[in-house]
Amino acid sequence: MTIGGIAIGVATLFALLALSSGIEGALEREISGLGAHILLLPIGCPYTLTLSLMQGADTPEFIPEDVVPHVRETENVRTTVPVVVGKAKVNGELTPIYGTTDDVFRVKSWGTADLTGALVGSYAATKLKLKPGDRITVDLYSEVTVPVTKILDETQGRDDTFVFLPLALAQKVLALEAKLSGILVETENVAKVTQTRYTLAKIAGIQAVPPSEVFDTLVGLFGSVKQTLILITGIAIVVGVLTTMNTMTMAVYERRREIGLLRALGSTRRDVFALFLSESLLVSLAGGVVGLALGYAASFLLPRTSGFGIAASPQFSLAYVGICLLVACAVGTLSAIYPAMMAARTQPIRALREL
Amino acid sequence: MRIQLDGVWKAYGEGPGQFWAIEDARLEVASGDFLAIVGPSGSGKSTLLHLLGCLDAPTHGEVLIDGEPATRKSDRELSLVRRNRIGFIFQQYYLNESMTAWQNVLLPLELGKVRDRRNRATEALGWVGLGSRLGSYPSELSGGEQQRVAIARALANSPEIVLADEPTGSLDSATGGDVLAMLQSLNAERGIGLVIVTHDAKVAACGKARIQVRDGRIT
Repeated sequence: MTIGGIAIGVATLFALLALSSGIEGALEREISGLGAHILLLPIGCPYTLTLSLMQGADTPEFIPEDVVPHVRETENVRTTVPVVVGKAKVNGELTPIYGTTDDVFRVKSWGTADLTGALVGSYAATKLKLKPGDRITVDLYSEVTVPVTKILDETQGRDDTFVFLPLALAQKVLALEAKLSGILVETENVAKVTQTRYTLAKIAGIQAVPPSEVFDTLVGLFGSVKQTLILITGIAIVVGVLTTMNTMTMAVYERRREIGLLRALGSTRRDVFALFLSESLLVSLAGGVVGLALGYAASFLLPRTSGFGIAASPQFSLAYVGICLLVACAVGTLSAIYPAMMAARTQPIRALREL
Repeated sequence: MRIQLDGVWKAYGEGPGQFWAIEDARLEVASGDFLAIVGPSGSGKSTLLHLLGCLDAPTHGEVLIDGEPATRKSDRELSLVRRNRIGFIFQQYYLNESMTAWQNVLLPLELGKVRDRRNRATEALGWVGLGSRLGSYPSELSGGEQQRVAIARALANSPEIVLADEPTGSLDSATGGDVLAMLQSLNAERGIGLVIVTHDAKVAACGKARIQVRDGRIT
């Protein structure tokens, strides 16, 4: 029962560390995967709009397409990628679609520069059973039929879920003619991103946001959730300490005769203290090892989403194993101090007489 | 080795419930002695033995070990005296039920990390005639055999004085006689000091010296 109590605390901690590391990694990968130094978004909450752009979700706000020439003419802007996203029926299945121009090939390494037909993400291709040369029907407000020109390599990001179409076709399907969900901007000189951002922000009807700022905010938001989870884990660990302390105290009472005998045979108080401390440490380490196994299994069973709609696999590291085993040792030490002191203070002859 | 009780008083309890188990005890025991402490139940003879073995501390007075007050010794020093120089034998044997006879005898040797301890444990059990029962658990041994394991455990560290509290009290007369003969030979052949607490007149008669305890006082 004591091993179980410690194992639950350690398992929670291990799963939390692995999952939060995975989620932070996935957030960073997704945002850097946008391939932009600056995101131009409609007026509104930049974080919601960024996530919508990443997920292909419908948004109520749009950028007028006629701002694109102004963006292109702005100093330090090297690449301008207009994007429209939304969900449409692809061969009857609701699928996120991503309409863009050939400019996208300057910010994404897809091994092709042909956007005359549809480029299909690996997950979407598997789900829709598509292969190059197939023709797909994309339908929402209008229906279009396009050939699949390439199945993209797996990125383990949101790109895997999209069907990429020429901008005009996507706008037609989504009934968003002359409207954009966002614009990805790549700069010539990264050191001047801040100045470029403020220049672009002056264009009416848009806001300019660096993806790094979005990332920091989302990680901060996730950090608040993580802190709450750490608090809950801390409570589980405190419960582990109290359970072990209770077990060790009971063990001291039950083994008073043994302690008395050891003292009579010449054990010092320090020997008795060390005996109970080492037993507690062994129990806690066993709990720690069981907890690691449970935590490893649990991190695969728990939902792999950050709450931002981004899929994330748990990331394990030896450092997390070390932290968890250290926590288990700390539990063993803390919980054994009082019972071990009690054992060390046992008067030998009184302990032998009582039994 | 010489242990002295110098004006030792021992009280149990506090306040109105306090009673004096030992009053003004003066006693000396050394290697080679064979002292029998006799008296009725509850007279304080076991308490006297525990004070001699530094298992209990006096309320007043001094226990001197080779002339040095035990109160000046640290817990570690007193533990080392118990571990290396004094052997204890109890009426209830106090064997660890989860250990074999050999492991029980090995226990005090392990505490001191004594050299060649495994062979010494085997030899001690051989000396008490249990060389063929090394792997037996206490529950598989008779009362006499268990007491012999306890004697082997007390002898394993080659003590200078053995303190035995009613060593034959739980045994039938024949087995008790065997155990007593074994203790006598320890005193005669090895020169080990022996203090036996007993209420059995026959056992007391074996001692070279005898003291009577009554109501906490040596008479």
